[in-house]
Amino acid sequence: MSATAIRDLRVPGDRTPGHAWPWRGLLLPLALVVLWQVWGMVSGNVRTPLPTRVLAAAGALIASGDLFSGITQSLGRVFAGFAVASLIAIPLGLAMGASRAVERNVDPLVESFRPIAAIAILPLAILWLGTGTAAAVMIVAYAAFFPIVINTIAGAKRVDPTLLRAAATMGLGKLKTLRTVVVPAALPAIGVGLRIGMGVAWTAIVAAELAVGAKAGGGATGGIGQMMFVYYAYSIELNRIVVCMIAVGLVALALDRLIRLGMRLLMPWLPR
Amino acid sequence: MTAKAGARLPTPLVYLRTMAVFIVVWALVARWTGNVALLPSPLAVIDALVDLVRDMELFVHAGISFGRMLISVTLASALAIPLGLLMGLSRTLDAVVDPTIEVLRPISGIAWIPLALFIFGIGNALPVFIMTYTAFFPIVLGTVAGVRSVDRRLIDAARTMGVSYRTIITRVVVPAALPSLLVALRLGLASSWTAVVAAELIGAPSGLGYAVEWYRELLMTPQVMSFIAVIGLLGYVSDRAVRALATRFTPWAVETRADA
Repeated sequence: MSATAIRDLRVPGDRTPGHAWPWRGLLLPLALVVLWQVWGMVSGNVRTPLPTRVLAAAGALIASGDLFSGITQSLGRVFAGFAVASLIAIPLGLAMGASRAVERNVDPLVESFRPIAAIAILPLAILWLGTGTAAAVMIVAYAAFFPIVINTIAGAKRVDPTLLRAAATMGLGKLKTLRTVVVPAALPAIGVGLRIGMGVAWTAIVAAELAVGAKAGGGATGGIGQMMFVYYAYSIELNRIVVCMIAVGLVALALDRLIRLGMRLLMPWLPR
Repeated sequence: MTAKAGARLPTPLVYLRTMAVFIVVWALVARWTGNVALLPSPLAVIDALVDLVRDMELFVHAGISFGRMLISVTLASALAIPLGLLMGLSRTLDAVVDPTIEVLRPISGIAWIPLALFIFGIGNALPVFIMTYTAFFPIVLGTVAGVRSVDRRLIDAARTMGVSYRTIITRVVVPAALPSLLVALRLGLASSWTAVVAAELIGAPSGLGYAVEWYRELLMTPQVMSFIAVIGLLGYVSDRAVRALATRFTPWAVETRADA
């Protein structure tokens, strides 16, 4: 996307020395943190989360290993559910994108279930699979399935028809065409689907663990979402909740970057 | 065989056929399971749905959730669209504000639920806060991207002709950014609808998410499935509504399915 499109058009009074101060992006976050600290010290009580207290809580949670075990437990579920979703969604999406008949027949199912949020399925998952890891994995798989399948379909459809005709002319079988023509052409779109799916999956696991904690009376589920709920409902430690929130954000960012990096390594021919 | 039949039948019929197969399979599995609490038959779900419609319970909860979503998306748009426009126009503002947005964005709205429960308590404010937060990011980023994608030559042309700054914004930038803005609105709507269910499931005494969880605790699975279906239906309808808006106001913009 052209980031420089309308550099000339500015809000009145907006001076644009291209490289004014590279650290200006830090101004607002810093100001907000300082404001938060001051406001909390003036008007808060002992439990009000403050940046300094959050830092202390983060130190304690990291030192005790609680934070890491929570994150790894959640990540394990995310990867399991994500793997299930990819294993179903990529072949299905390729088949739907490559064959008009398959698409027409399966699309109604995909489109009917797509608007149903993964969290809405959670009560059913608890009913069927209990409050443990299996239910969480099902939610993650459900959430990640749709972005992956839809992007795979779009990718498989974007294949240059000339290439398909060339393959047909040279007498390539259907499977071989799929493997050597359709899949490579669809890879970038599949990568996008995986990236979006991973983001959705991570959001879903936090929601699922939170809700299981809230509704199934604690339960021995573990994971970062569960930790947050325990700090909310039982030990009332707001600073630790904020630490968990930051951790959730950092992991989301790391997962996103990881998949971007993977895509760039796998597909060095892509722009950027 | 299906390949040929599928190619000839009109799309609505194919849709009906697929769903019919799905419902028959579901009915057979339900009969094999033989446990209404675990997997009710399609008929039991329709029964429950009719009951919920008849005593208006369905509309009450759906109305509450839908109202919360409308309020939240309105709030989010009121904050995000002006901010996005300014950020798209001003590199300074963008450089100052964008890092903050990028820091907050990975923290999903759902992760705010425990803290927000403390601040707002259980009630209307919690789901509205969570949904506004969730809808804010796609809308602001979409608006920025839309403003940035405005064709430079159009602006230059307008400037050459001595068009005033304000008119350039209202007549060139905003119309050109509109398609991307509407896509952003759709994404915001979809993500806030996902968040409402989570927020209501955990921290609201009413709404569709609450109803789903309430009936699960009572092991009344037909009602659970009815409400899940309504959640899907409302999500679908609101997405269609924004799409219809998009084709009405920006008929020139081509949309693809993969942008969701």
